[in-house]
Amino acid sequence: MNALELESVTKRFGEFFAVKELSCKVAAGGIYSLLGPNGAGKTTTIRMVMNIIIPDSGSIRVFGQSMNENMKREIGYLPEDRGLYPKMKVGELLMFLAALKSVKRAEARQKINIWLERFELVEWKNKKVEELSKGMQQKIQFIATVIHSPRLIILDEPFSGLDPVNTKLMKDIMREMKAEGKTIIFSTHRMEQVEMISDDICLINKGRMVLEGPLHRIKTEYGKNTVILEYEGDASAVSGQPEVEKIDDYGKFMEIKLREGADPQALLQKMVDRIRISKFEIQEPTLNAIFIDKVEERR
Amino acid sequence: MSKILTVVKREYFQMVRSKGFIIGTVLGPVLMAGIILIPMVLSMVSVENQEDIAVVDESRAIYPGLETKLDMKLKDGRLRYRLEEIDPQGNIEEILSGLNKKVLAKELSAYLYIPAAVEEEGAAEFVSLHVADFDKTRLINEALNNVVIEKRLRSEGLDPEKISAYTRGVRLTTKKVTKQGAEEDVGGTFLIAYVLVLILYMTLIFYGSIIMRGVIEEKNSRMVEIVLSSLKPFQLMTGKILGIAAVGLTQYGIWALFGMGLSQYGGRLMTGIVPSAAGIRFPTIPVYIFIFFVVFFILGYLLYGTVYAAIGSMVNSEKEAQQLMMPVTMFLVIPILLMMYVIRSPEGSLSVVLSLIPLFAPILMLLRVCILLPPPVQIAGSIVLLMLSIVLMIWIAAKIYRVGILMYGKRPRFGEVLKWMKYK
Repeated sequence: MNALELESVTKRFGEFFAVKELSCKVAAGGIYSLLGPNGAGKTTTIRMVMNIIIPDSGSIRVFGQSMNENMKREIGYLPEDRGLYPKMKVGELLMFLAALKSVKRAEARQKINIWLERFELVEWKNKKVEELSKGMQQKIQFIATVIHSPRLIILDEPFSGLDPVNTKLMKDIMREMKAEGKTIIFSTHRMEQVEMISDDICLINKGRMVLEGPLHRIKTEYGKNTVILEYEGDASAVSGQPEVEKIDDYGKFMEIKLREGADPQALLQKMVDRIRISKFEIQEPTLNAIFIDKVEERR
Repeated sequence: MSKILTVVKREYFQMVRSKGFIIGTVLGPVLMAGIILIPMVLSMVSVENQEDIAVVDESRAIYPGLETKLDMKLKDGRLRYRLEEIDPQGNIEEILSGLNKKVLAKELSAYLYIPAAVEEEGAAEFVSLHVADFDKTRLINEALNNVVIEKRLRSEGLDPEKISAYTRGVRLTTKKVTKQGAEEDVGGTFLIAYVLVLILYMTLIFYGSIIMRGVIEEKNSRMVEIVLSSLKPFQLMTGKILGIAAVGLTQYGIWALFGMGLSQYGGRLMTGIVPSAAGIRFPTIPVYIFIFFVVFFILGYLLYGTVYAAIGSMVNSEKEAQQLMMPVTMFLVIPILLMMYVIRSPEGSLSVVLSLIPLFAPILMLLRVCILLPPPVQIAGSIVLLMLSIVLMIWIAAKIYRVGILMYGKRPRFGEVLKWMKYK
């Protein structure tokens, strides 16, 4: 069964199409990432899934049912614009949010304690939110998202503002939840996070879907046409070579997209005399390259 | 429904437990009682000192009468004014400048100079360090007047006592007709109307801005979308408005208890503090006025509270909100400006029409109820119209609110807000 199905969903704000004819399917039990540059329509799409804004046309089904207010109980949602009532005590605030999700008081109390312990925040339970650091507040927001044990978890830019330690913690928890059979959808514009944990991806740009499917399949389809080059010296000559279609030069590191049928060996031979090469690897393109490629292709 | 209730509970308890609420609720009545009681008490315990007043009576005919007229005692039995007759023999300028010095040196509190021609010219001088004690100057002026008038009458061969009996005035008491018959009205109706309408006006603005601030805070803290993952914008808005309404009613309840206590025991309490205050009557307020007060508070609150919620959703800061609040506040100020007119002519057709207009109705209809109970049809009409406009306003506000709370950045123009309403 699919956890989520969108069928030609369209949302217009005035003359501007935030989302246009978007269709996608999210299989239950996986990690699905929604990718796109800023302003692509990710947040609008997610808000429509959450019934916070209503699509102009198209249909949204969650676990086979048309999305409605009652289905909100099945979903845990961490918005991109997130914050907490600054004057409320942590424990009370979580109880309030649990009550909104119709979690029984005793059960909520128990779960709040378990989660606070997990995040090492127990001693903050009776402190006001405004006394917490930003990182702690983000953990509280995450607890609020999963306090009712939802089957579908939607995280909009979950890693933004997280330090490396908390990013790892977040990824661990996402993997754990996947192991428990839950479905996770998250949006981001930072590709390296996607590659590590996603099963499926959906790339949208300007409100339209550009690419969708299992991550490994997409990468294979692009083929092993990419060279990762780590070097020292002046590498400007690389771009002039007949084998090279496109490069992303980062100074000490370069991602080279080869022309079809080009021989990477030949390129290597030409370059060894000009620069010091510490790494030369033929691989699938990074998601970042696919992303930039796809977004630029549409322009 | 249970979700709205959850929001209501949060709003209510967060607010009621806050220091601001506790201070406001307790301090409000204390301040009010203070404003009413302190001047009363002060007027009762006016500062009383014995005063030495010199009298220079050039006519030599006024002083004896004046002494009898000003024969007043302080509470401790001493004379209030110790009069001393100064012999006007000699240079009058010198005598007066000598008295001036004595007043400056505070040997005398004042002196009264009665020229020889007082009966003909009707002029005298009262000289003291300060002349702001109107009570004192009035007493002395009256005494002097009476003595001089009596003298004039007598010199014409008339009997002053008879004249004063002939010219005695008529006492007019104002009464108000109620179902129970005519009752004496000591200006209480007017006072009650004034106080209740002002309380209504202030609390409408006060609680309205609390709603608005709450919405802005929810927006600014970015809490709103987390909450919306569980309920509809409409439920959040409704919960907020109802929760704060409950806070307002709690505050009103506490104040009403206090007010009733004051009108029941206030007189006795004051008599305890200041024995001479016995006999001060606290106006009693008919129960129906209390009921209408609460009804119009609730209706006015719902109407204006909804508008304030919509405004809060449109802006990012209270500063931005100020501009938008201006026109709303105007609708509350206009009835206050019209108050005097309505008090003078509560049944006039303009008063009737104005008190039916929903935005004015809470204040003006309550005012009319206090002054002169309007026909039931008019009261019911204003309530029905208010309810209809509340429904309409909630419908409009909900449409603005659900879009507004998710909009950050630039404050929308009016045209944009209209567009929001068309969003699905």
